[in-house]
Amino acid sequence: MSFIEVNEVSKAFRVSKRSAGIPGMLANLVVPKYEKKQAVDNISFSIEQGEMVGFIGPNGAGKSTTIKMLSGILYPDTGSVRVNGYIPYRQRKEYVGSIGVVFGQKSQLQWDLPVIDSFELLKAIYRVPDEIYQTNLKRFIEMLDMSGFINQPVRQLSLGQRMRADIVAALLHSPRIVFFDEPTIGVDVVGKETIRNFICELNARDKVTMLFTTHDMQDIEKTCKRLIIIDKGAKVYDGFISGIREAYGTTRQVDVEFVEDCTVKPIEHVEIKELDAPGGRKKRFLFESREMQIDSLMSSLLADYAIRDLTVSEPEIEGLIRKIYNGEVAR
Amino acid sequence: MTKLYPYLAFVKKSFLGLSAYRFNHFMGILNTILRIFIFWEIYRALYGGRTEVDGITITMVATNFILSMGLDSVFFVNDYYLPDRIQNGSIATELLLPVSIHGRMLADNLGHALFQLLFHFVPAVAVSVLFIGIAAPADFSMLLLFLLSALFGYGVLWTISFAAQMLSFWLINVWSIMTIKNVFINVLSGSMIPLWFMPDWMRGVIRFTPFSSIYFTPLQIYLGQLSFSEILHGFLIQFFWIVILLSIGMFLWKKGQKKLVVQGG
Repeated sequence: MSFIEVNEVSKAFRVSKRSAGIPGMLANLVVPKYEKKQAVDNISFSIEQGEMVGFIGPNGAGKSTTIKMLSGILYPDTGSVRVNGYIPYRQRKEYVGSIGVVFGQKSQLQWDLPVIDSFELLKAIYRVPDEIYQTNLKRFIEMLDMSGFINQPVRQLSLGQRMRADIVAALLHSPRIVFFDEPTIGVDVVGKETIRNFICELNARDKVTMLFTTHDMQDIEKTCKRLIIIDKGAKVYDGFISGIREAYGTTRQVDVEFVEDCTVKPIEHVEIKELDAPGGRKKRFLFESREMQIDSLMSSLLADYAIRDLTVSEPEIEGLIRKIYNGEVAR
Repeated sequence: MTKLYPYLAFVKKSFLGLSAYRFNHFMGILNTILRIFIFWEIYRALYGGRTEVDGITITMVATNFILSMGLDSVFFVNDYYLPDRIQNGSIATELLLPVSIHGRMLADNLGHALFQLLFHFVPAVAVSVLFIGIAAPADFSMLLLFLLSALFGYGVLWTISFAAQMLSFWLINVWSIMTIKNVFINVLSGSMIPLWFMPDWMRGVIRFTPFSSIYFTPLQIYLGQLSFSEILHGFLIQFFWIVILLSIGMFLWKKGQKKLVVQGG
């Protein structure tokens, strides 16, 4: 039994569908039309204690809906969720005391009050003992560099400051599990880096189990080892980040600069692209790693041509993910 | 006791939060006083110099206004607590807190009610008593029973709103429902027209609704119009409605949670 267990979970929403303008409005008034939208479609995965997992997918893929089911806000239509022995949506009140959730797009803080007042309120709500509260607060303020705005009202904070305050708000009660739903949305480069480092440290030192959604691949590459990709409500990948290259990144690319202008005879299984003018010195060779070995390509080139420079590049993760979202790679 | 601690924090927060809107608050007191005086003048005109009509003295009528409108200012219920949160999606963060939603709503309202009691009811009633006059409570025990009954009256009013708010799971806009509900409360609870003046058949109908037990039952106790067994009966009716309405609200909450759609991402 894993720490977090998601079993064949589905969730659909009813979306009101109406055509534009006054005729559409009138038609909708008489016979309202609804459309069923399958937000999450039969997803299963499990996460062990202390793991840090990236959870990504294009907009509308069902990430937030899954997070909300994991945090006890939404009921799944079918399937089951179990976290740390709790069924989140059935035992919401008991369960949510043991988790922390950060919604990048929704603040938990009191809009009109200074940040510290919101923290004090949360301390009371979660019944955090005084010494734990003080230790956590001191540590988090230092790590996230928050001492400058802790006494300012939330409405006067910049987005990056508010996000950091929201992260602390979700962690004051020392939760064992934290769900981050786009914690770096709209945050600048420096702020993102601070948040990433903080998250890494929390996982490494406190062994907090984390699930992390984002649209920034760098967030994932710098924090998580494991990645779950979902699209249109269904899981399309679950494994190590490095495994993505093996699974989808089978295309190799070799850029060659020849000593002089030349035309290369066609080679089987290899696509040749001119990087200069046709017949120029720079060419790109693209091939599938299972159809062609790099050494046999090189030896056939070296036998016939003089080469000045060459670079072999692996496909970038971000590019691969884009291909997966666009449905360009076979699943 | 420690279980109550989070809710007390909510009461405190809502109490302190109100002090920010001072101008609004003074206008609110003025509004209550004006309403009481307008009704007083209307009924004085209607009584045409007499002190009694059908055995109902004008002092009783004034007492009715002052107490029910005074209580009305204390009996704070935010009809849009849940509807607003469902509409703007902040229900999500609300559900992340390890507290029950009804406890949370009640705590928020109680903080408000407590503030209103101290800084609205007391000044408004004091001014009205000074310039209009009010019947004294029948005796001291009746005063205590009145306070207890008023507390239950608030319970009835609150649970009506609680159950009605749950409809916002199905209807995104509940404004019309809340408005109709509040018209019913204003007319049928006796705070506008004392129930003594209602025709008998109407009073018969009202007896089967929760509305008369909000203000009218406490008021009758205050004036000493009810016998001991009638008081007991009044308490039982109030208790009955609280249990029924709370159960309806909780039932709808359980159903609604499964239907919940969190708006906006």
